[in-house]
Amino acid sequence: MTSATDAIHAVIAAGRGDRPTSLDNVETERVLAIALALLVELSVSNERIDRLEREVADLRGATLDEFRGAPLTDTAIAERQEALEALQLRVLRVMVDPRGAEAL
Amino acid sequence: MTKAMNVRDVQHPILPRATAEELSRQRAVVSLRKLLNARVRSENVRRFHDEGAPAFAARHQRQPQSPDDISAALFESPGYRMWSAANRAAQEMIWVSVGEPIFRDRDRMQAAARELAASPDRKGSLTLDPSYDPSPELAGTDVHLQPGGYARDDGPDDVVAGAFYETGGNVFSFGQGAGKSDSKAGVIFRLLEETFAGFEPKRILDLGCSAGAASAAYADRFPNAEVHAIDIGAGMLRYAHARAEALDVAVHFSQMDAADLKYPDDHFDLVVSHNMLHEIGADKRRRAMAEALRVVRPGGLVIFQDVDTRFAPSDVHRVEKNWDTRFNGEIFWQTYTESDLEADMLAAGFTAADVAEHNVSAVSNLNRWYVISGRKPVAAA
Repeated sequence: MTSATDAIHAVIAAGRGDRPTSLDNVETERVLAIALALLVELSVSNERIDRLEREVADLRGATLDEFRGAPLTDTAIAERQEALEALQLRVLRVMVDPRGAEAL
Repeated sequence: MTKAMNVRDVQHPILPRATAEELSRQRAVVSLRKLLNARVRSENVRRFHDEGAPAFAARHQRQPQSPDDISAALFESPGYRMWSAANRAAQEMIWVSVGEPIFRDRDRMQAAARELAASPDRKGSLTLDPSYDPSPELAGTDVHLQPGGYARDDGPDDVVAGAFYETGGNVFSFGQGAGKSDSKAGVIFRLLEETFAGFEPKRILDLGCSAGAASAAYADRFPNAEVHAIDIGAGMLRYAHARAEALDVAVHFSQMDAADLKYPDDHFDLVVSHNMLHEIGADKRRRAMAEALRVVRPGGLVIFQDVDTRFAPSDVHRVEKNWDTRFNGEIFWQTYTESDLEADMLAAGFTAADVAEHNVSAVSNLNRWYVISGRKPVAAA
């Protein structure tokens, strides 16, 4: 077995027993678990970005702070801001979406 | 003090070859668990007093008294409930973070284990018992949520249970604050030097050895001793055997129940267990103590090391520590914590003068361990 997804499926298939919950409902607990898993994945991505920054800074002969603090062009600043706003809108979409909740 | 083998910092071919990204993910889980332990769990007793107990009293018109009351009161606290849910999620992520490299690299690991087990230069041995039906109370449970549990056995070459135990155990322990020089066997080496000076075992038995980390450490610390180790799981033992061979130490591993040892009377100088008592029920524990006494020689030592939950300073602390029973597959955790182990040792045949309980510090961090020791009376020979 070589693929990551196969390996993760094997871990999932191996688990036995019920999953006792602590919060008032299962849905909330699962959302918390997903958020914590995303926290771990974000940590992994941050480590990869950090490595890249260090490599590039080294190649440029700059310190990490100099590299990170190097001024951006106006175009780059605008693009970064647009990307930030789009990211936040994706994440908060359900709060912005005007549709109300429909009970089961 | 004699330095113990760095059991959490060894390299051998049976370990999964984790990618940089997989190691990064394991570090993130360690860090998350450290934060949960140090900054969130540490507030649980305060949450009981400030939030849980008043809410319980308002709901029931009385103060929480019994362990069940205290548990219910803890769950009245939103902060406790959030910690509990987060801690369960983090515990599951331990196994995902180590399971991915294990299953991805499984074929290579199995081949490496096979090669080591068959090597003409091997120092130890492996004896599996195909007729042994692993204790159902343990085999049926994913203890500490380890996928497949202690007795997982996927076939003649399977080493997954051992790989899970060693790699998941490291991620768990680092999250508890243990360092790479942590060693439960090292705790016993220090106890032997400080409390039983001059005791030099020639034949050692490690009960419930799991992946064999302590067993290998005993063989390393006492190179002239004959070291035996038992466990219920074939997958654990195959891994432990190959691991010991890779580390160039001689350990003789056997599939056996600690409550039904196949060794003759008076055979060992030292019988030890590490974190086994909290994994077995009361009846098996009492039989294991009696068996340990039977197979140790007169004047020899029996030492059980285990988790420190028995030192909880109050009922609230004790109940808080019992979280593992319901949420972490530790079905005998509460039984272990609340049992009179000294009485069990006496019932097994040890004499009161020869039994002692010890509250000992870990080798490399602020954690504590519980140890109970018994010396076999010479007159019993």
